[in-house]
Amino acid sequence: MPRGQKSKLRAREKRHQARCENQDLGATQATVAKGESPSSANLLFGDRSQNLPAAETLSIPEALQGAPSTTNTIAPVSCTSSNEGASSQDEKSLGSLREAEGWQEDPLSKKVVSLVHFLLQKYEKKEPITKGDMIKFVIRKDKGHFNEILKRATEHIELAFGVDLKEVDPIRHYYAFFSKLDLTYDETTSDEEKIPKTGLLMIALGVIFINGNRAPEEAVWEIMNVMGVYADRKHFLYGDPRKVMTKDLVQLKYLEYQQVPNSDPPRYEFLWGPRAHAETSKMKVLEFVAKMHDTVPSAFPSCYEEALRDEEQRAQARVAARAHTAAMANARSRTTSSSFSHAK
Amino acid sequence: MQSSTKRMGIMTDVHRRFLQLLMTHGVLEEWDMKRLQRHCYKVHDRHATVDKLEDFINNINSVLESLYIEIKRGVTEDDGRPIYALVNLATTSVSKMATDFAENELDLFRKALELIIDSETGFASSTNILNLVDQLKGKKMRKKEAEQVLQKFVQNKWLIEKEGEFTLHGRAILEMEQYIRETYPDAVKICNICHSLLIQGQSCETCGIRMHLPCVAKYFQSNAEPRCPHCNDYWPHEIPEVFDPEKERESGISKSNKKSLRSRQH
Repeated sequence: MPRGQKSKLRAREKRHQARCENQDLGATQATVAKGESPSSANLLFGDRSQNLPAAETLSIPEALQGAPSTTNTIAPVSCTSSNEGASSQDEKSLGSLREAEGWQEDPLSKKVVSLVHFLLQKYEKKEPITKGDMIKFVIRKDKGHFNEILKRATEHIELAFGVDLKEVDPIRHYYAFFSKLDLTYDETTSDEEKIPKTGLLMIALGVIFINGNRAPEEAVWEIMNVMGVYADRKHFLYGDPRKVMTKDLVQLKYLEYQQVPNSDPPRYEFLWGPRAHAETSKMKVLEFVAKMHDTVPSAFPSCYEEALRDEEQRAQARVAARAHTAAMANARSRTTSSSFSHAK
Repeated sequence: MQSSTKRMGIMTDVHRRFLQLLMTHGVLEEWDMKRLQRHCYKVHDRHATVDKLEDFINNINSVLESLYIEIKRGVTEDDGRPIYALVNLATTSVSKMATDFAENELDLFRKALELIIDSETGFASSTNILNLVDQLKGKKMRKKEAEQVLQKFVQNKWLIEKEGEFTLHGRAILEMEQYIRETYPDAVKICNICHSLLIQGQSCETCGIRMHLPCVAKYFQSNAEPRCPHCNDYWPHEIPEVFDPEKERESGISKSNKKSLRSRQH
């Protein structure tokens, strides 16, 4: 039966009240002692449709309450599944790693898992990862143990997902993921972005866009230098940065590198290549740049307006393409049915 | 040679590559999962027999268990397609969104979520969501900006848009069901058949119980006289067809051409 307006309003008020109370309680959830809830362990692994015990309901996500803080709420759980020593010589399993750590007794394990979730999310979104963010959102008061927590988290991720986390900028503490598996195979035919996750390219696209869709070579290198990447210095991750920027990425059609018209002596500039236009968008690049500066896209008003216009154009193009496909399909089906009616 | 799936799983590069691909896509339909699985075998272990998808996933999940992550299977509410996503187990929050969006953006999502849950059809109109823009926490957001943020949610597969109205993407339901049920215990609707969270569905006009469209399809399959499982009254709505992946591929009609089964049948 449809609910009346009044009962919905009352329910909504009750919810707001409950959440305000929980927010205060939520602030203390970090102090939940580690050994106290073996029963909640089974509930977590067992039937998830049961109501979680009180310890869990304290943990309404502070993110949705408006306070920036950790979003994980795990009660320390003893893992009840048995490990039958399954690791073979060729393949490692997480089970042996877990046993070696004495998982159940370790107070940092909660943070390690939270950090794993955080990092995987960044990986999925192809976003830059900073030490500052990791501490702000996950590590928090345990920042004295940052290195250990990070090391353990990256080990787990390496084992399970085959990706390595490396510090690409030791000065500003930026990290990025690198797949240990060779991902040059053409893996999908979907129109998801296939842009390589090299921070170098995203930064270049950002500089070019912010600069008005073309950037003199010097401007791009200036930004790279801040990150410790120099055109003519061998880089432990990128190898020969000048070659990557002016040859490899150009050949792959992500960048265009051309002489500035009428420049004498000749100077060069970078522009977006056709593949960059196809595989990413101004808005996505602007979001990347904003994140690097710990701000939001609308903090760059004219770029933001341009990115919005670009999004609209793309949306219109998509609509037109779908309409075209639909028209083609209709035409095809009409032809088929009419040919049926002719065939005797 | 291969141990049973009850043992702790073994991770090989086949599984790792698969996980990387799944993460890149965020959410995948079942036939995509199978295609990518075959691809991963082809790349790393050409001569092995490809595991059944269910066993493959169980294997991975047994290894990911200690990280409180799993590959979770769900079904789209409008046409019953099986979908999969990597979800966090331990959190009851929308943590995947938390560091992605600004405070006012998260609040916009929460407002949209509340409108969707409270609605009869599972859809909230763009107008109604945008009218709440003044109430958002954090930095002030213009309506034009809010439209953009809503599109971002659609692109990231948290919301679906249909004719100017928004509902939850299957991925959001997969990831956030627990959180939603705990945060809105009075307002959530539950399917009478599968007992999971229900956003879109059909309801009995007599006793008010609700069912997902794919649950209706399965329950009333080849039943000439469908009756409400609770009050036995005649079931007044059109019974959708059970999703058949084989039939779908043969017909070759694109999804956008299929008649929308979104029902305003409450």
